[in-house]
Amino acid sequence: MSDAAIHIKSLRVQYGRFTAVDNLDLEIRKGELFGLLGPNGAGKSTTIRVLIGQRRPTGGSVSVLGHDVVREWARIKPLFGYVPDRENHFEEFTGNRNLEFFAELYGVPRLRVRECLEMVELEEAGNTLVRGYSLGMRRKLLLARALLHNPRVLYLDEPTANLDVHSAEVVHRILRERVSQGATVVLTTHDMDEVEKICDRVGIVCKGKLVALDSPLALKQRHTERQTDVILATGERRTFDMDRDADRQALADLVRAGATASLQTREFDFHATFLKLTGQAFE
Amino acid sequence: MRFYILRALVLKELHRHAANRGGIALGLLLIAAAVMLSVFNPAGFGGGGSSATEAASTSVVGGVQHCFVCYTRENSDVIPPLVAHLEKTVPPELRQRVRLREMNADRIKEGVYYQPGVASIRLNAYTAGGQPHLRIDVFHPPGDAAAMAPFENWLWREMRVGLQEIAEQKLKALKVTNANLPPIVAENDDLWAVRESFAALRRDADEWHAGIVPEVQITREGLGGQTLELRSAIATALVVFALYFACVYLLPTLNCEERERGVLLAQALSPASPAEILMAKFLFYPVLGGALAAVIAGIYKPAVLSTLFFWSGLFTVAAGFLGIGMTIATLAKTQRAAFMGAMCYLLSVSLVLVICSTNGIPFVSNLALEYHVPRVLHASLSGSVHSVHWLHLLAAMALAAFWLVTAGWLFKRRGWQ
Ligand SMILES: Nc1ncnc2c1ncn2[C@@H]1O[C@H](COP(=O)(O)OP(=O)(O)OP(=O)(O)O)[C@@H](O)[C@H]1O
Ligand SMILES: [Mg+2]
Repeated sequence: MSDAAIHIKSLRVQYGRFTAVDNLDLEIRKGELFGLLGPNGAGKSTTIRVLIGQRRPTGGSVSVLGHDVVREWARIKPLFGYVPDRENHFEEFTGNRNLEFFAELYGVPRLRVRECLEMVELEEAGNTLVRGYSLGMRRKLLLARALLHNPRVLYLDEPTANLDVHSAEVVHRILRERVSQGATVVLTTHDMDEVEKICDRVGIVCKGKLVALDSPLALKQRHTERQTDVILATGERRTFDMDRDADRQALADLVRAGATASLQTREFDFHATFLKLTGQAFE
Repeated sequence: MRFYILRALVLKELHRHAANRGGIALGLLLIAAAVMLSVFNPAGFGGGGSSATEAASTSVVGGVQHCFVCYTRENSDVIPPLVAHLEKTVPPELRQRVRLREMNADRIKEGVYYQPGVASIRLNAYTAGGQPHLRIDVFHPPGDAAAMAPFENWLWREMRVGLQEIAEQKLKALKVTNANLPPIVAENDDLWAVRESFAALRRDADEWHAGIVPEVQITREGLGGQTLELRSAIATALVVFALYFACVYLLPTLNCEERERGVLLAQALSPASPAEILMAKFLFYPVLGGALAAVIAGIYKPAVLSTLFFWSGLFTVAAGFLGIGMTIATLAKTQRAAFMGAMCYLLSVSLVLVICSTNGIPFVSNLALEYHVPRVLHASLSGSVHSVHWLHLLAAMALAAFWLVTAGWLFKRRGWQ
């Protein structure tokens, strides 16, 4: 109980008649990097909006670090940092000035602004107006802003969208670093590799419902497709399911007869697993 | 309320405006207009007079800007001395606007087309049945005979005086010494002809029986100098506009822009509380508008800056417009909606005020802040504050309080999103 940073209990969020989040139960542990996955419109951003207190839940309750999000909003505000899905900077200010303004609100020394800019490798663009930033630079500036006050909880809505491979690496490193220092990180993403690489646990949501919750490794073990692709000596391609006795027998016979030209077991495919879990798997 | 947070928020607003050249340009333009208003003071404008002439000269649309007095010297021994008399007696406030122009006898009978704002009076003498005649034609702008009033006031009196002088001289030349021509009743009186007409009636009736017609007494006075004076009216408009611009236009549009772009959310998620975010805007925009308004008023008439009435008026207007601006800002979701809101508000209030004043609908206008505000500011800018203006100020204060309460209530209900 005490090692949970975020408690989401029977959360329901409705936009008018439309239910965006449907009876979601979730616990996110302290010091964990948690990934929220799901197709477009699944309710990931909505869940995060509830966590930051921007949207009131229609039903259920949400608490962060022991404080109820709705009732004790003012108390938890300084505890978290948030990277929104849509960038929101003062376009007419420089990157520096943007961060300085928020540093003043958080009561953080100016020095920290420089540090955060360096962390996301924007120190050279610090004196350029945000108007002149590329999409990736804007994203990185959002992360720098969220890091200003060293928050204990970080919510990131698609933090690596529009980032090049190197910048994405930088973000990953920063997030792992934060987690190793005890912070809790919740991120949403559409990048399966990212999830496999950095997340401790993933929750997969679809149409507002949680359809899977586990570590990437456990998901892998559970959902790896145990199939073998075979090219026969005749050039014909066949696939054998290792969970079926008949298939195993047939494959063994072929191998014994020396009728196989090549033989390959399938790799775990997070993407396929994801599609299967969200009920959209192709046959 | 934490000071460092308020300071950061207010400085942020200031920097945003410093980065926005359009707003600065408009502010400078307003100040430039005030400077021009105080530097250029053409004759006939301003001053403390309240005569009919000035009232006419302040009508920006319609009216008569120039009046030609056309005459011909041919066939007449009366017109040359009469014109000489008229020329001498044009009053100073009409001097720029009256042109005496000689024409030949044929031209003067033709119809002439005049530009808008131009009128003419023609003097033409001829003889008929052995008697000399003097014909005077007044051509006024179509449908606006009253616009000739200042010119006719001068013309009829001075023609009467001039004709009498000419007649006396002629009689003198004929050696008639005891001709006692009656002078006009009072020379500086616009109503001399009216008085004379009543007096003539009484005189004629008295010849039959005394006391049948009463002696008519007429007095006509200005109402304590309450005519609208154009320059201070423009200054008032500039002051009101500065406040309107800052509080009803800038505040909602910039606020909604922040909301639309998500920066308002970013601020709300920081330790700054909604009350602090609101307070920073409450501090910044009225101060911005008030400072601009005070600069404009100070340029126009530095003395107002030391009067309590001006500052209480300014403060009230700023508070009222702030309430209206915050109301629009909480109701509008987008920047465009805020802009439309500000414009619609302005238009509908003007419409209501115009309809009420043209149709004589009572009371309703009293509910508009914009009804009292110009009266209060104009009174202080033209230096003629009466007790009625204090009542307007009180009404404005009540309306400002109403708008502030409405804005606060709406903000509480709808929140910072
Ligand atoms: N303000 C809103 N008003 C009405 N419906 C909304 C609103 N915001 C989101 N929705 C709906 O709620 C559902 C969930 O939206 P949400 O933004 O949470 O999806 P998401 O999982 O973040 O998707 P994506 O991967 O595309 O970012 C969507 O179907 C969306 O149409
Ligand atoms: Mg989203």
